[in-house]
Amino acid sequence: MDILQNLAFGFSHALTLQNLAYCAIGCLVGTIIGLLPGMGPLATISLLLPLTYSIPTDAALIMMAGIYYGAQYGDSVSAITMKIPHASSIVACIDGYQMTLKGKTGLALFSAGISSFIGGNVAIVALAWFAPMLSKLTLYFGPADFCALMLLGFICVSFVATGSLLDGLAMAMVGVLLGQIGTDTTSGAARFTFGQDTLLDGIGVVSIALGCFGIAEIAKNLDQGTERSPFSGKIKLIPTWPEFKRIIPSALRGSIIGSVLGILPGGGPVMAQFGAYAADKKFSKFRHEIGSGAIEGVAGQAAADEAASRTSFIPLMSIGIPENPVMAMMLAAFIIKGIQPGPNMIASHPDVFWGLVASMWIGGCFLVILNVPLVRYLLSLFKIPYAVLFPAILFFCCVGSYSVNNNLEDIYLTGTFGLLGYAFMRFGLESAPLLLGFILGPMLEENFRRQLEISYGDFGSFVEHPFSGTLLALIAAFVVIRIGMFFFKVRSGVPASAAEPPN
Amino acid sequence: MNNQQLLKGLLLIGIALLFGVTSMRYRMGALAHPGPGLFPIVVSSALLAIGIAVLARSRYLPRVPVAFKARNIGLLIASLMGFALISALLNMAVAIAFLVFVSGLAAPTYSVARSLKITVCLLLIALVLQNALGLNLHLY
Repeated sequence: MDILQNLAFGFSHALTLQNLAYCAIGCLVGTIIGLLPGMGPLATISLLLPLTYSIPTDAALIMMAGIYYGAQYGDSVSAITMKIPHASSIVACIDGYQMTLKGKTGLALFSAGISSFIGGNVAIVALAWFAPMLSKLTLYFGPADFCALMLLGFICVSFVATGSLLDGLAMAMVGVLLGQIGTDTTSGAARFTFGQDTLLDGIGVVSIALGCFGIAEIAKNLDQGTERSPFSGKIKLIPTWPEFKRIIPSALRGSIIGSVLGILPGGGPVMAQFGAYAADKKFSKFRHEIGSGAIEGVAGQAAADEAASRTSFIPLMSIGIPENPVMAMMLAAFIIKGIQPGPNMIASHPDVFWGLVASMWIGGCFLVILNVPLVRYLLSLFKIPYAVLFPAILFFCCVGSYSVNNNLEDIYLTGTFGLLGYAFMRFGLESAPLLLGFILGPMLEENFRRQLEISYGDFGSFVEHPFSGTLLALIAAFVVIRIGMFFFKVRSGVPASAAEPPN
Repeated sequence: MNNQQLLKGLLLIGIALLFGVTSMRYRMGALAHPGPGLFPIVVSSALLAIGIAVLARSRYLPRVPVAFKARNIGLLIASLMGFALISALLNMAVAIAFLVFVSGLAAPTYSVARSLKITVCLLLIALVLQNALGLNLHLY
């Protein structure tokens, strides 16, 4: 009953005219950036973050969240119609595009849209149920537990985002080191400022995100030099009753898988999609059709994708630790708006938490309208050539960097990180773990130093706590297994690139 | 020498040494009372170890050359830096025109008319951002 009361309280906040408008804007922007190549939710949230200073806290967070889960809807549309694989819609390209080739684009889009709606709703129930429970549990965590949780997050994100544990972990460490630049909050010492006063406050997360994800991504797209031709086929959206019946079990299966995988460290839409697709291949009544354009191949992964994008808010809002780079950016958004996510957030800002949860349901309704009946109009966006789009993105990068502190020097910093991000990309290093490391670095240091002080400098105390000890043992076991697998494959003559992909 | 894996390892080792050596200048403190230099040296050491491992791994992986296309990223960074410089010296309206016309050179095809249209659109957007969202853009 408490949950129903809390949800009613949340709806009373989310249903104000202002919050409804920002939720709709977030969903629309999210869908558009999900559709278009070259922009992801990460870059968009960092672009819009400085523009939200004049917007009330709850409205700004509702809009940011809408961009994130809206982008999950949008990217499956471009995957189905044009086989444009975004990071989180690789699976949608398989059966979705096969359905397009068979002339069933409308059915694929309808399946994805409705399944995403179902997945979103199941995830909202999980979010409303588990987040308050987990935040109460988190009150018993000590600094050693937080350190172990963050390390687990680094390992999982490194492996999931890059495929190579070494490369991903290296980038997370680079991010942690970049987070050290500026004044040490405990001792007041200036670190790694190299005599530059502008670095005393540290590097802004917006400069890093826009440089590494905005500018580097534009350069990559320009290097590829390919223009997409817009989808021009017919779209018949309404399915027959037998077709509709095939969507539901797959969507429910995907919703549950996505909700669970979304909570895990390093989890999120990508892992959830693969999990749901594998489950459909094993358990679906029509599993023999999957891979050649089956409804189940689209419905399950779309539901999992959307569910995971929403349940990934659970660790952020209840523990205060983001589990993927987009959530790390959301953490930055919360902090900029004066809210510290974590065990006390739900109790101290119930209006923000429950308002956000309720807005996700409203956002789901907006997204169904945008992505099912209005999808043909959204697809006309592809008629805009990239040569027109990228100067506009570049302009927003400049305005976004400048507006944080009204300081033009921040644009130079963004440019520097653009160059660095491009170099990392060309060296086969992914920037996503870097951003997570940058945002979690100061928190990791704070908990690391606190644990050492509590234990009078005893490093063993990190493994003596049952929870942190278990997590660190799991991390050690995983690292040892990966190293063992690498050498085993090298010795048994498997090409070394297969043992540990370079990126 | 142009081997992606090898250069990657060297880059990581370079970053680790830059931060590691610099952090030695800060007070380490005792383990029970860590100073500002302790945590960065621990992280730099971890990164150094990873860099060495990446370097060692490059022996087992096939050689892939690094494809660094300097022209496009160079034009983008130049337009960005020019935007900041012109905004400081003149105003942001001229800076927007510079950004569009210079970055446009990175596109597969170049058109003055197209760049002009984009500039006008972006100026209108900037006006909206300034007046509706209250951003301090110094357009004129």
